[in-house]
Amino acid sequence: MYGDLSSRSFAGILVLLALGFLLPLVLPEYYLYLGNTLMMYAILALGLDLLLGWSGQFAFAHIAFFGIGIYTSALLQMRLGVPFIIGVPIAAALAGLVGLLIAIPSTRLRTVYLALATYAFAECAQWVLRTWDSLTKGSDGLRFSPPDLLGYVVDTDRRAFPVMAIVLALVLLSFLYLTRSKLGRALCAIRDSEHVAAACGIDVKRTKIVAFVLSAVYAGVAGGTYTLYQSFVTPDSVGLAQLILVLTMVVVGGSGSIAGVLVGVVLIGLLPEFLRAAPRGLLVWQEFFYGLILILATMFMPRGLWGFAEALLARAQPSTKPDTAAASTAGVRQPAP
Amino acid sequence: MSFLFLQAAASGIVTGCVYALVALSLVIVYKSTDVVNFAGGELLMLGGYLGLLALIYFELSYPVMVIAVIAAMYVVGALFERITLGTVRGRRYSKNAEADLVPVVVATIGLGYLLKGAVRVVPYTEEVRRLPPLLSGPPIFVGDVILQQQDVAIIAATVVIMLALTIFFGWTRIGKALRATSQNPRAAALIGIPVKSMRMIAWGLAASLAGIAGILLSPKLLMTPDMGNVVMLAFAAAIIGGFSSLVGCVVGGVILGVVQNFIGILFSPQAMSVTPFFVIMLILVLRPQGLFGELAFKKV
Repeated sequence: MYGDLSSRSFAGILVLLALGFLLPLVLPEYYLYLGNTLMMYAILALGLDLLLGWSGQFAFAHIAFFGIGIYTSALLQMRLGVPFIIGVPIAAALAGLVGLLIAIPSTRLRTVYLALATYAFAECAQWVLRTWDSLTKGSDGLRFSPPDLLGYVVDTDRRAFPVMAIVLALVLLSFLYLTRSKLGRALCAIRDSEHVAAACGIDVKRTKIVAFVLSAVYAGVAGGTYTLYQSFVTPDSVGLAQLILVLTMVVVGGSGSIAGVLVGVVLIGLLPEFLRAAPRGLLVWQEFFYGLILILATMFMPRGLWGFAEALLARAQPSTKPDTAAASTAGVRQPAP
Repeated sequence: MSFLFLQAAASGIVTGCVYALVALSLVIVYKSTDVVNFAGGELLMLGGYLGLLALIYFELSYPVMVIAVIAAMYVVGALFERITLGTVRGRRYSKNAEADLVPVVVATIGLGYLLKGAVRVVPYTEEVRRLPPLLSGPPIFVGDVILQQQDVAIIAATVVIMLALTIFFGWTRIGKALRATSQNPRAAALIGIPVKSMRMIAWGLAASLAGIAGILLSPKLLMTPDMGNVVMLAFAAAIIGGFSSLVGCVVGGVILGVVQNFIGILFSPQAMSVTPFFVIMLILVLRPQGLFGELAFKKV
């Protein structure tokens, strides 16, 4: 569970990288666009899950950091000609810095108040993007040129796909290490009981702030990758609706588990495609279905689809994995495998 | 100029009262079940559309419509608590109350989307509609300030509902039982309070209140399935009031309404829309217990 990465995780990341270079050779452009979108959402959702699933903090500011990531990397590249490879780390750092400024006052707050304060911040950030016309072009939206990676111009989804895969692989690797580190264990301890964690000598406030900042950095990176395969952004793309979408991915897939989040991203991310294939009338129902899915998921799969599947597997073979089976029947949440 | 401010203050008080009504609904849920209801705005929207349905399709008279909406909303709220939140609560998986809040809040967000989607798929709601006001007639002049009769109805309804709720929570058996349920569900169950029914009552009441707010607000606003966004203003009002005080809600709503109008005059209408969020952040950072609340710490 802790310590070195399992060879299975390494193999998964290698497969991702291989697919990143092979799929663009065979798949049509539209599928690659879908793949890019899913990978971007994966980074965004993992970052949100770091707060939600791993440290049990309900924070809504995530989408604002995503917006900061998009606008910073796009503007740096348009106005100052900063290349993608430098622009995205700057964007991520800026998101992290703003995250730190928000985290210091808001991690004092609990439950409702944390949710509301961070939600209010997200709305304020969106308002700034909408009203700062001279910089962000306001509600009209910002159109930006394709990023240039040391001469490799990413102007199509086909060219963006391998870059996306590399970024996602790096994010996954860092996430795996992070959740296995002392910090990851401290976060789980805080999630399960703040008092016990404090009694064990964990600096609760500091750990929460670090988690908040790291989550903001992931959102900033996700924003940077957005500029790889999109060429247009409006303040509406970083609103509450987008956040709810990412939240649905995390909750449906299984919060607190990397595999679960990825499952959620793929399922919910592809849902509009399935709805599009259905008769036209169904597209109107999208909002209704998201609501229904959220309600049913919290009711019947508290640990998401992934947790549900794990519990089923554990029940099917109780002798080989006695501890997992016991834990899941007792309803104790376990960190990701 | 001073007339402008007076008029702005008066209309701010009226809109503030509507925020307060929704805030009361949020606070009732929070006080008795410890849940932040992110679907409050959508319940309001549903109330408005149910009112329209009752008036136009079923051709009910206005008072009957109000009663029908209150009853229907009560059922919606109580059923949501019983079916969804009851199940979610039964599956608690950690000892940390803060982490347990996540699935419950997500469920209310889901309810909000569900209701919004359900109203949107009805073709009738594609066009912007308007609910007839409760009171219509010539406007009333108070000095130079003009008030519509509907505005007077809104203020009166808010004050009456706030007083009624204060009496209900402070002096009636059910009200006290609701408070006990919130403070310590297990102890409440031990002394014979039916906790599940109490929670259903709280959600039913809250949904009915949101419905009333919807009926009162719909004649003033353009009715769209997105009108539930007003809930953030209600959250701001509740936070100013401390999130657990009923009087605080109303005072917070009125303060917010007036401040918002003044900012609209002094700066720009654009700045108006960000005011509630700014207020939420400011209050939470400077005085998290609100202007009226006491800081409550829950021990393990």
